[in-house]
Amino acid sequence: MLYIKCPYCGMRSQNEFAYGGDATVKRPELNKEVSDKEWDTFVYLRKSPRGKHLELWHHVSGCRQWFKAQRDTVTHEIFKTAEIKEDI
Amino acid sequence: MSQEFRLEKIGLINRDKKISFKFNGKKYFGYEGDTIASALIANGIHLVGRSFKYHRPRGFFGAGVDEPYAIVQLYRNGETDPNCRATEQELFDGLETKSVNCWPSVNFDIGAINNFLNKFFPAGFYYKTFMWPKSFWYRIYEPFIRKAAGFGVASTKHDKERYEHKYEYCDLLVTGSGPSGLASAYAAAKNGARVILAEDKPRFGGSLLTSDVNVGNQSGKEWADKIISELKEMPNVTLKNRSQVFGYYDHNMLVMSERISDHLPKSKKYSPKQRLWYIRAKEVLISSGSIERPIVFGNNDTPGVVLASAAREYLKVYGVLVGKKPLIFTNNDSAYETAIEFKKNGIWPIVLDTRMNPDSEIINEAKSMGIDIRFSHVVIAAKGYKKVKSAEIAKISEDKKDLGKIENISCDCICVSGFWTPTIHLASQSGNKTKFNEKIDAFVPDKPKQNEKTLGAANGIFTLEETLKTSFESGEEVSKKITKKENKISVPQVSEKKHAQHDKFWCVPLPKGKTYKRFLDFQNDVAVTDVELALREGYRSIEHVKRYTTLGMATDQGKTSNLNGLQLVSSIENKIVPSVGHTTFRPPYTPVTIGAIVGREIGKHSKPTRKSPMHHWHEKNNAVFVDAGVWLRPRYYKQGNEGLFEASKREAKNVRENVGVCDVTTLGKIDVKGPDAAEFLNRVYTNAWLKLPVGKARYGVMLREDGIVMDDGTTTRISENHYHMTTTTAQAANVLSHLEYYLQIVWPELNVNVVSTTEQWAGAAIAGPKSRNLLQKLFPDTDVSNEGLPFMGYLESKLFGVHARIFRISFSGELAYEVNVESNNGNFMWGKIIEIGKEFAIQPYGTEALSTLRIEMGHVAGSELDGRTIPYDNGLQGLVSKKKDFIGKRSLNRDAFTKEDRQKVVGVVPVDKKTSIPEGSHLVKDANASLPNPKLGHISASCWSVEYNNPFSLAILKDGKNMIGQKLFAMSPLKNKSILVEIVSSHYVDPKGERVRS
Amino acid sequence: MQKYSVFNLIKNALKGHKDWEVAWKDPTPKAEYDVIIIGGGGHGLATAYYLAKEHNITNVAIVEKGWIGGGNVGRNTTIVRSNYMHDENGLFSEFGMDLWRNMSQELNFNVMFSPRGIINLAHSDAQMNAFSRRGNSMRLNGIDAVLLGREEVRTLIPMADFSENVRFPIFGGLMQPSAGTARHDGVAWGYARQADSMGVDIIQHCEVTGFDVDNGKIKGIQTSKGNIKAKKIGLCVAGSTNILAEMLNMKLPVETHLLQACVSEPIKPILDHVVTFGAGHFYVSQSDKGEMVMGGDLDGYNSYAQRGNLPTLQHVLTEGIAMLPFLSKLKMLRTWGGIMDMSMDGSPIIDKTHIEGLYLNCGWCYGGFKATPASGWTFAHTIAQDKPHELNAGYSLNRFSTGHLLDEKGLGTKTWIS
Repeated sequence: MLYIKCPYCGMRSQNEFAYGGDATVKRPELNKEVSDKEWDTFVYLRKSPRGKHLELWHHVSGCRQWFKAQRDTVTHEIFKTAEIKEDI
Repeated sequence: MSQEFRLEKIGLINRDKKISFKFNGKKYFGYEGDTIASALIANGIHLVGRSFKYHRPRGFFGAGVDEPYAIVQLYRNGETDPNCRATEQELFDGLETKSVNCWPSVNFDIGAINNFLNKFFPAGFYYKTFMWPKSFWYRIYEPFIRKAAGFGVASTKHDKERYEHKYEYCDLLVTGSGPSGLASAYAAAKNGARVILAEDKPRFGGSLLTSDVNVGNQSGKEWADKIISELKEMPNVTLKNRSQVFGYYDHNMLVMSERISDHLPKSKKYSPKQRLWYIRAKEVLISSGSIERPIVFGNNDTPGVVLASAAREYLKVYGVLVGKKPLIFTNNDSAYETAIEFKKNGIWPIVLDTRMNPDSEIINEAKSMGIDIRFSHVVIAAKGYKKVKSAEIAKISEDKKDLGKIENISCDCICVSGFWTPTIHLASQSGNKTKFNEKIDAFVPDKPKQNEKTLGAANGIFTLEETLKTSFESGEEVSKKITKKENKISVPQVSEKKHAQHDKFWCVPLPKGKTYKRFLDFQNDVAVTDVELALREGYRSIEHVKRYTTLGMATDQGKTSNLNGLQLVSSIENKIVPSVGHTTFRPPYTPVTIGAIVGREIGKHSKPTRKSPMHHWHEKNNAVFVDAGVWLRPRYYKQGNEGLFEASKREAKNVRENVGVCDVTTLGKIDVKGPDAAEFLNRVYTNAWLKLPVGKARYGVMLREDGIVMDDGTTTRISENHYHMTTTTAQAANVLSHLEYYLQIVWPELNVNVVSTTEQWAGAAIAGPKSRNLLQKLFPDTDVSNEGLPFMGYLESKLFGVHARIFRISFSGELAYEVNVESNNGNFMWGKIIEIGKEFAIQPYGTEALSTLRIEMGHVAGSELDGRTIPYDNGLQGLVSKKKDFIGKRSLNRDAFTKEDRQKVVGVVPVDKKTSIPEGSHLVKDANASLPNPKLGHISASCWSVEYNNPFSLAILKDGKNMIGQKLFAMSPLKNKSILVEIVSSHYVDPKGERVRS
Repeated sequence: MQKYSVFNLIKNALKGHKDWEVAWKDPTPKAEYDVIIIGGGGHGLATAYYLAKEHNITNVAIVEKGWIGGGNVGRNTTIVRSNYMHDENGLFSEFGMDLWRNMSQELNFNVMFSPRGIINLAHSDAQMNAFSRRGNSMRLNGIDAVLLGREEVRTLIPMADFSENVRFPIFGGLMQPSAGTARHDGVAWGYARQADSMGVDIIQHCEVTGFDVDNGKIKGIQTSKGNIKAKKIGLCVAGSTNILAEMLNMKLPVETHLLQACVSEPIKPILDHVVTFGAGHFYVSQSDKGEMVMGGDLDGYNSYAQRGNLPTLQHVLTEGIAMLPFLSKLKMLRTWGGIMDMSMDGSPIIDKTHIEGLYLNCGWCYGGFKATPASGWTFAHTIAQDKPHELNAGYSLNRFSTGHLLDEKGLGTKTWIS
């Protein structure tokens, strides 16, 4: 079971969290013309690297904040977690 | 009654307490502290089971977790457990046990015919045959093979035992209480660290219990006892025996199973059988020791062939002789300790040592005791079928290729030692890559990956002095990091006998003309020839060898066989062992009871049950409940002999004619608050939200970004910046996370907060033409007229003094209201509604009637919003704003979504107006078309229309909008039904929606 | 090629099994092939076999990073079925069922196909209705399906939890009687042996490190054993798809996740079918060896680790005991993990790509093993004819743009939620 540092609450076991996938996905702005390709990329294409992965977690059984984590997808080492507005 | 193989003066068992038990129906006795194995051996019994494939006789090979043979069926407290390891199971009064995998008995087993045909069953033989005739595999061969395979018999009864879980955090977890475990735990504990010391066996001390050493002027055991008693007194130390740390997972989470009651006739009241510990350790010291590995020789699986270390353990811990004419076969010094122990107890062993001329303190001691030692000698084969009777031995040449003249010597057991294999499982599980140590011909941990360190024999250190020194140091080091204390412990003086180099010899060659089976994996009957065959056939990767031969895949997971298998592969392939590589070590280290892994979440508690505050009332009023996610909802309220159909019809009819009340507490409720709430809703929902006035509700649909409908519900503007959103019961949690995602990540500039209020409000839907009359009586001081509270209106009032929210919204299509009060007033509200509603002939209605009412009105719900449909499919295109953007809008212009003949919800009526259409039927043009028959759509929901008194269904139908009036067949081959139906509008009742506004 | 038969087995037994030939050779790669299949798993080996058998293309190499059959074909729970709702999935899988039924004989390798039936348990009327929709769809597609009531389930699986003390009572189930299990390793080895005998080069321990693409055309690959040229290249590397796609600068609607499985200690026969739990995600069958083979949810976060954590297994086994309480007394013997290609609609992709001569086979989610023969057959067709067969036309890459999605579960793009 992973041990994850919620930027707001501190170290907590994984069962308090929900996973949220690739954190680099950026939603196109509202009311902006986007090409089919851009839109499909947003909806369906995700980074799924072997190694360092920037991803979202949601502290559902805690403070209910979404946050970012940088984790290794092979070793599961978590290098850093950060609030959404912070850069990793 | 004395036991023939029990010694009087040696052992750690409690001789004051005799325990009687049964094996294969016959009564025996042992002592408290015995295992099944030690007690049976004391009684002279060595034949306990039969092997997996050839049904060869099986005895005891080890004395603990590494045991590959002695698997028995256990009977305890009226229950039975399959596959119990006799070398681990402690004796308790009334224990019963039986041999497995043999018929009619372990002594005379029909399956043993396989042994005589064994040459026809080499590795992988089943891949090469049983192919003709085609149907025979499934009908004849496979059932036969299944019956022959497997060990114990599982009971189909529910497990009566209780299993618990515990979550624990500690500074240091030490796995194993041998010398390295004791020393490191002691040092760390003295430094103030919170330590958990786990020992698999009932007794602490590990190898100190059986080795002949001196620590600080005491025997090894005395020293261990002293350390243990000190640790027991320390508040920062948790000592756990009968506790196996079986898995090393990510982020230093280790899992341990503690056997609390397995050694008792039955579990004590309030005490679980086992407890599973999830331990998050800052540091881990692995002190799991090593396992002796066998030397491979002919018929080395015969009962009576045992590991030399096991023979010593039976002697010193249990006071039991594995034989009275022992032959000891070794390539190293440690087996001499066994020989000496035999001799000390009046038994004359013969030692065969593969080495030419070794010289060491312990060999000299054995010599001086007069023990018969023959160097450069090997056992070629054990003789005897159900028990060793003699051994064929011979001299072996220096290059270990040529055998001398074969001699037969009488013996009743062969104690074998092929040196030691460090138990590196936990280190490997943690991600440690491990490395091959040439000096000991075995893998040891390499660089740690997590906060772990491996000590002592588990790390390939086989002298006590070095083990203690490094373990004390490690205990100090890791604890210092945590506690910042430095409490140096002086390492005690150790005296132990120095060992000579072992012989890198592990497999005895076959003499010319002999075909003895030489086993590597005892349980799965994998012999040297099997591995040779696999390699010959091109299965050359070690994983291929393992899978093709099943080497190491038995319940002992290859603890005594894997390394010898590797040696064999590397010698045939002419590679060095590390380049062959070992197969992956995976948790669990030793099999773990599934009940313990699951814990308390069984039966009714396998998932949570959520109940509304009015649940008790529903129960008392004969509600039949249905699962809605984890909620329980009344499906209908049974009157007399009614079934579902009659009851739901009655309830629905009463809503259409009078008034009904339905518990809608389970609907998801979310408070949306903040100055930007309207803007936020406008982005989340497909329709427009910016102009909704305070005191008004609106129906909304939300999409996923891929354009698929995610959920629907009404949202009400309670005040300027406060909205009350409702979701479906099933999607409540997902919708909240979805909203939080957009607020926190995508549009953080919006000043909005969301919070679930599902549990804060109890809800009752009051529906039917008389609902306003009822409402007026519930709220006499409030204007609930059509003008005072119009359709989609909202107001707050007091229900006999209790704060209430009143929404004029309708799911049933009737004039309807929803009243919410704080949860703890739910029962009060419900009681008042029922009480005052009596004069209007109120009846409670359940989800089934609710479903009927919504279906005949053509309101879509979960069965239409199934995660595959877009708004258009559900007839919700009118709610899709063309003017503004919203989540998922951009996806709606995909080809498949905009097709002319896109599917759409329609109504379906059987032409005969009688035959109900099963849900899940498909609509086709031609009922008799050849298969595959093209499907045009499917029936998503069916009901008996109480308005028209005939069946009515909803369907999602291709080109639905142009299909009205067409006749199709609703086909349910599963129910053997084909029904001629007419397609009608989905709005079957009150198509103009007048009632809700009346 | 040496024939496998009981007569040959006896003959060889009498000669001490010294004369068995290698099941497949260990060749060094040639400089050039007509087709290279990357990935020596079930799908890759089957593709090579069908290229040779159906299309007479034998100048083929299979390039495998590790040892053949070491990926998901050797890590699954051996279930073979075609119980799908969508036509594309159902017809594709049912075509595969025919190949399964004849596989042992066709490959002359006993893959132990055991049509013991799969039963999906239902725990509510709503679920019975959803299963009816799927089962009726199967029947109208010519696939066998039977709807079982509670009592019928009890007859088939009497040890399931029919007690009062149950959270989600069994309402009934959907059964596909012709579904079942097969010996996973045998499938890989059987295809390998036949492909090898028809001239396919199986090159193990050969890692692809790059692709040669020129002017939108594929030219060859770079490997740890040197460069190899080819006119056509097929990717069959479930679990590593994203790694290879990155080398090609391709982004795919696929995420990589870990699925764990476990077995109990072997016991005498107790369960004769494959059974799945309806109020969660758990499936189980009993192997011929007697082990209960069990699996369920993903670990829930992107992973290439081939090792999982215990909470997922705890969750899976909780559902196991909820369904079959007798499992409580058994012991979990072995656990392992496989890396899945989770596609954004839960269905696979077998298609051409924007690079001429490069073909893609990926996105199998949990369902790769049972698809092995049909996947190999249709992928071979797609490569040989340079266009998809009608059976895999629905598995196109552009369906995510057009909206022709094949979402059996209706869960959308959160691939880690099962």
